[in-house]
Amino acid sequence: MGYVFDLGSVLSGKYLDWFLIGIATTLALTAVAWCLAMAMGIVLTLVRMIPFPPLGWFVALYVEYHRNVPLLVQIFLWYFGVPSLLPRPARQWINAHHGEFLLAGIALGLAAAAYVAEDIRSGIRSIPKAQYEAARSIGFGYLGAMGYVVLPQALRISVPPLINQTLLLFKNTSLAMAIGVGELTYRTREVDSYTFKTFEAFAVATVVYLVISFGIMALGSWSGTRLKLETR
Amino acid sequence: MKLFSVLGLAAVFAAGIAGAARADQLADIKARGKLICGTLGTSEPFSFQHPQTREIVGYDVDICKKVADAVGVPLELKTIAVEARIPELLQGRVDILAANLGYTPERAQQIDFSYSYFVSQQKLLTTKETGITTAEGFAGKKITAIKGSSSEQGVRRLIPTAETVTFQDTSSAFLALAQDKVDGFCASELILVKLAKQSKVPMVVIEKSLFVEPWGLGLRKGETAFKTLVNETLAKAAGSGEVDKTFSKWFGPGTAFDIKRDYQIEEIKG
Repeated sequence: MGYVFDLGSVLSGKYLDWFLIGIATTLALTAVAWCLAMAMGIVLTLVRMIPFPPLGWFVALYVEYHRNVPLLVQIFLWYFGVPSLLPRPARQWINAHHGEFLLAGIALGLAAAAYVAEDIRSGIRSIPKAQYEAARSIGFGYLGAMGYVVLPQALRISVPPLINQTLLLFKNTSLAMAIGVGELTYRTREVDSYTFKTFEAFAVATVVYLVISFGIMALGSWSGTRLKLETR
Repeated sequence: MKLFSVLGLAAVFAAGIAGAARADQLADIKARGKLICGTLGTSEPFSFQHPQTREIVGYDVDICKKVADAVGVPLELKTIAVEARIPELLQGRVDILAANLGYTPERAQQIDFSYSYFVSQQKLLTTKETGITTAEGFAGKKITAIKGSSSEQGVRRLIPTAETVTFQDTSSAFLALAQDKVDGFCASELILVKLAKQSKVPMVVIEKSLFVEPWGLGLRKGETAFKTLVNETLAKAAGSGEVDKTFSKWFGPGTAFDIKRDYQIEEIKG
């Protein structure tokens, strides 16, 4: 009973279109979630550094929630739970405008933000406190010292772990399949259920995920060399 | 030299495996001493866990039992997911499928279907609020279905302008409809009637069937002896009134459905 590996049948006609739509959706979802994760991650880091304990507790709670609750549960909560708290017109607007994509992006982005915040915090902690104190002593305010002295170095140090988070985020977009977002894994399963070419369909998806992952890693190592500070 | 003997051994093994796979499936089942039947286990009243005994029971299960009795071996059930049905059969992990398996031309290219043992009315469920009363009313709307089901394929075929959004299971699809994320839910009438009854959001089942779908037992292609036996078993059970008895046990008076069998046990014509 030889198995005939028939890649052509899943890479032609409408099935090819489905794969392409899936890849585009996966990339778009990654981009949306990534932007949200970075913005929110930086905000969380800054809030945590404000010397007012309740804010620090809030960030700690945020990070622990997103790190300890399974991502799939968080996605379901955003998709099925959060909209039902909103007023009716808002809910209708979300439903009419591909809410599943938007809500999956928010869920993935906010979860990744927790990890991003931790990575940036590690970067900041690696900058000797004396530099911050020195900046303050020559007249920088809190924001100035952070913005001109600490963060430019800290963010550079955070780049390798952040690339790692980007990779994870990219792969995690496949979970959005569960709420009907037509990303790559969703489309792959669709092709599979139409053609029954399970092996071929998932082989295509595997290669696409690998190629994009390698792309992100290459971007990471390129930016790593570009951003390297000259040490004297 | 050593390499050659290893290769030779591998070739002998490969030939042995290929030979075993080519043997008649019916003989294999008898030799093994049990019939492995793939079933869903999540689809009342076809195949579901009995609340008290915790065993998988239902109409599909009883039909499979008849086949096992005809072969003369005990029945072993294996629960599988909707979208894994055909791969599981093709890879030989189950002998036969009794798993809400509707006939489609695409599926018939992959596997053989036995005589139909059930005919399902595929209908659309919608909330009262949408005001939709016909299948045509769903043009350009969002319709949900279970991932990998024939309902999904039927919606694409018959309402091509509608957007399909598929979910892993009935409960997610139903919730999406209840929260207005989609406008309709396509599935077997029996499932929809039950959901409409239980729903807190007022819902209606569109009266006219979107399409009618005969269900058959799924068999691997080319297993003539086994297929003949399965079909003879079904025809005999229909003639002796056994099918009627089984049908009324799960769908007849005293059940939530209370319907009569209005279809024949016959060959599915594509």
